[in-house]
Amino acid sequence: MPVNSKSKGDLLQGTLDMLILQTLVLGPAHGHAIAHAIERGSDDILQVEHGSLYPALYRLEDRGWVATFWGTSENNRRAKYYRLTLAGRKQLTAETSRWRRMVSGVARILRPAAG
Amino acid sequence: MTTWRRLFHRPDRDAELAREIRFYVDTATDENLACGMSSEEARAAAIRKFGNASLIREEIYLMNRISLIEKAWLDLRYGARITFKNPAFAATAVLILALGIGGNAAMFSVIRAVLLKPLPYRDPGRLVQVSVDNPRLTMPGGSFTALRYQEMRRAAKSFAALGVYSRFTEDMALSGRGEPEMFKGARVSANFLDVLGVRPALGRAFLPEEDTPGGPPVAMISSALWKRRFGADPHVAGRTAILNAVPYTIIGVLPAAFEFPIAELDVWVTRPTETSALPARFWPFVSSLKGFARLRPQTSLERARAEAEVLNRQYLAANPESLDGRAGMVLRLIPMQEQLVADVRPILWMLFGAVGCVLLIACANVASLLLTRSAWRARELAVRAAMGASRGRLIAQSLAESLVLAGAGGVLGVLLAKWALTAFAGMPAFNLPRAGEIQLDATVLAFSVAVSCVTGVLAGLLPSLQASDSNIADLLRESGAAAGRVWASRSWRFHFSSRRLLVAGQIGLSIVLLIGAALLIESMAALRSVNPGLQPANLLTARIALSPTRYDTPQKSAAFFDEVLRRTRALPGVSGAAWALAIPQSVLLRTNVQVGEAPEGDVTKWPMAQLQSVTTGYFHTLGIRIRQGREFDDRDNRPGAQPVVLVNETFARQLAPGANLLGQVMREGMDRSGWMQIIGIVGDVREGGLAADAQPEFYVLPRTHSSRSAYLMARTQVDPMQLVSAIRSQVLAVDRDQPLSNIATMDQVIESGMGRRRLTMLLLGFFAAIALLLATVGIYGTIAYSGAQRTQEMGIRRALGAQDGDILRLLLGQGLMLALAGTAIGIMGALVLTRVMKGLLFHISPADPSTYAGIALLWIMVAAAASYVPARRATRVDPAHALRVG
Repeated sequence: MPVNSKSKGDLLQGTLDMLILQTLVLGPAHGHAIAHAIERGSDDILQVEHGSLYPALYRLEDRGWVATFWGTSENNRRAKYYRLTLAGRKQLTAETSRWRRMVSGVARILRPAAG
Repeated sequence: MTTWRRLFHRPDRDAELAREIRFYVDTATDENLACGMSSEEARAAAIRKFGNASLIREEIYLMNRISLIEKAWLDLRYGARITFKNPAFAATAVLILALGIGGNAAMFSVIRAVLLKPLPYRDPGRLVQVSVDNPRLTMPGGSFTALRYQEMRRAAKSFAALGVYSRFTEDMALSGRGEPEMFKGARVSANFLDVLGVRPALGRAFLPEEDTPGGPPVAMISSALWKRRFGADPHVAGRTAILNAVPYTIIGVLPAAFEFPIAELDVWVTRPTETSALPARFWPFVSSLKGFARLRPQTSLERARAEAEVLNRQYLAANPESLDGRAGMVLRLIPMQEQLVADVRPILWMLFGAVGCVLLIACANVASLLLTRSAWRARELAVRAAMGASRGRLIAQSLAESLVLAGAGGVLGVLLAKWALTAFAGMPAFNLPRAGEIQLDATVLAFSVAVSCVTGVLAGLLPSLQASDSNIADLLRESGAAAGRVWASRSWRFHFSSRRLLVAGQIGLSIVLLIGAALLIESMAALRSVNPGLQPANLLTARIALSPTRYDTPQKSAAFFDEVLRRTRALPGVSGAAWALAIPQSVLLRTNVQVGEAPEGDVTKWPMAQLQSVTTGYFHTLGIRIRQGREFDDRDNRPGAQPVVLVNETFARQLAPGANLLGQVMREGMDRSGWMQIIGIVGDVREGGLAADAQPEFYVLPRTHSSRSAYLMARTQVDPMQLVSAIRSQVLAVDRDQPLSNIATMDQVIESGMGRRRLTMLLLGFFAAIALLLATVGIYGTIAYSGAQRTQEMGIRRALGAQDGDILRLLLGQGLMLALAGTAIGIMGALVLTRVMKGLLFHISPADPSTYAGIALLWIMVAAAASYVPARRATRVDPAHALRVG
């Protein structure tokens, strides 16, 4: 089974944090669901490496952007759920606008060559 | 969450994460099952998808670290666990390192106290030693006359203050309170504490008026004397002490460990120009003063020296007649610290270099041990690499092990150093300046810690690079010991060449030390084979210095000496006794002499000879050969008898070559006692120590040259020390206030003359022995390792028909090649390094070929023996077994 290959969207440093926060806007989720949501939502362009996901989740928790609680999953297992905090929501807004600016900037540079 | 809380909650968090990961794997497995995989496949795929769970756990675990320190602490703890799992290995390595680190800590304490630490005076960098020297003599530190002192005080602008002390230490008999006791005293100018910038611990310093002829008799005493003899009386200042039968007022106590001008003084008095060793009429003319000065703040040493040169020229022009004004004399200014330790500096640095070599050898040795061990642990290391440990982590962990070893070695080493320094303090033979300041203080501890760390890194570097340099897959395919072989063959070149280098380096360093030690041992042997010119066995010596007030005439002191001599000779067990002005082997008075009747001319142009004044029976008692003529007898002491003299062979050979001296007359320039008839020629006595060449010397009777101090020499039929109390009671029977001092056998006197050289030899020999031992272990280990690693190769060789001899030759040859390489390195090193010990050698060149050849041969034999044992073992390998197992 393919683990994400290099050509297939290694996540940019920092973007994973933003994507996790975005996923949690829709409601609390556990790690597995977050990974799934990112992969599905990007039509499998983005692959979430678990080696990065869990450290990222812990980092977000340490910064107070997400909070955790233990709940029961859809398949009746004990799972650790993550939910967005108020600080996390603010961070997401800031990150999103920063990301938009960056993308449009990069796009402007690439346009002549592409067009 | 705060950092600290995170740190403490870490285990909880880790458990939580483990649960979370388990949940992930379970869920993914369910999904895979739903896709139709078998349950085993489903789980394996889920785990694969998740990746290296322990790495993730570790990463998150470490996210909560405070800093690198924690990682280092983990490594160290792991290192300690691994290390002490194998106690024999750990003990060996720790002991080896402790020897190296301890030796360095001890030597550093000595070097720091003696050479590096500023002198314990105010602004010691501005203190200089002022000496007037004959530049033909290499050692600076010569003394000058009172006239020169006055001229310098008057004219020199460079000095903020100039002080002097007498080069003669005085024997001070303290009496009146308990047993009379003899102390060493110094005569110093009143300003000596001002110049040094030292305050008395108690009382006050000298006043200028106490330094004038006829001034009040005042004395300062040492802390030690104050505590021992005066019960540390806080009101001691103002009390009276009877010194040499003169009541002195004690005005102050000097601080503990005050060592000026020399160590082990107990009394300081003023009027340095006076000396009880010489009649008062000589005082203005003798060169008895040694100077020390504090430079003015704005004056550089160069400027002060330039001024000294001018002053010296003026003095020489104005006073060509005086002893220190002869043409060619120079006035030298030398920084006090430099001057104080000038003669021990090269010895100490050499010994420091030697312990440094021992430490390097210890490092190399432990590095070899670690290399061997990491070969056996190759599989463990491979597993850890496979688990995702990075190369850096492996190196760090490997280094942590050697650091743990070095740390333990350092602790043990400091204890060793403490013990060694205590032992060292008990050996006065070294006569080290500032010995009282030697201590294991914080600086030395810091040095030891630094040395331990460097040692740990040095010893661990090669093994750790090696440990991280391996191919995991190859190793894991093999089992246990075989893994070690694969690993070893893979990095064979690196591994074996670095090992060889370590061993050859150890051999080289040990050869340098061995050659150094051998040169010193040969020097000592040469020194011992020097004929001292007398029979030292069963000869007791003791010193008497009479009070100048109670024995104010030569008649009184002669009566005392005669009576003590008469009583001593009558003692059972004494077969002969005599008095001598100076003890043989010491530095004697020198004076000008004229042989054969001739006009007086310029006395200072007469040749110089050593003067010794002895009683009848001296030559017989000491066993000095009479070559021609006769020795003194009672006829020569009769009133009105012709003054007579004996000379030694060197005197006859150098001052009157070819002449028959018997019956001739001579005279000398000091006592001006007139013409004396030469009645005999005696064998040379090595005055000034065995290493000194024999000097022209002449012997007179006390009636010609009298003194209030003399050495009693008694030939005994029993152990000389048994007679000490009997002789002392005879002395007290003649004068109950008269102490006896410097009691020693002649053997001890001769030994103490070689003390520094002998102690250096012992220390260097000890270091060399350790080096030899360690390097031998090193070569043995290497050959044994090589044999064990190549068991399979040996098996093949045997299967192809190699005989025992072939295998033996192969491995022996390897050992010998190492030894040869090491020997070559060592000999080259020794040729360069032994030059520094030239001053310690006697009748042997630092490049003595037979010594070098001997040590090289010794090492090749040692190497052959050390390689033979493991080589022999390799021949016992059963080829079938080796091939099967390998």
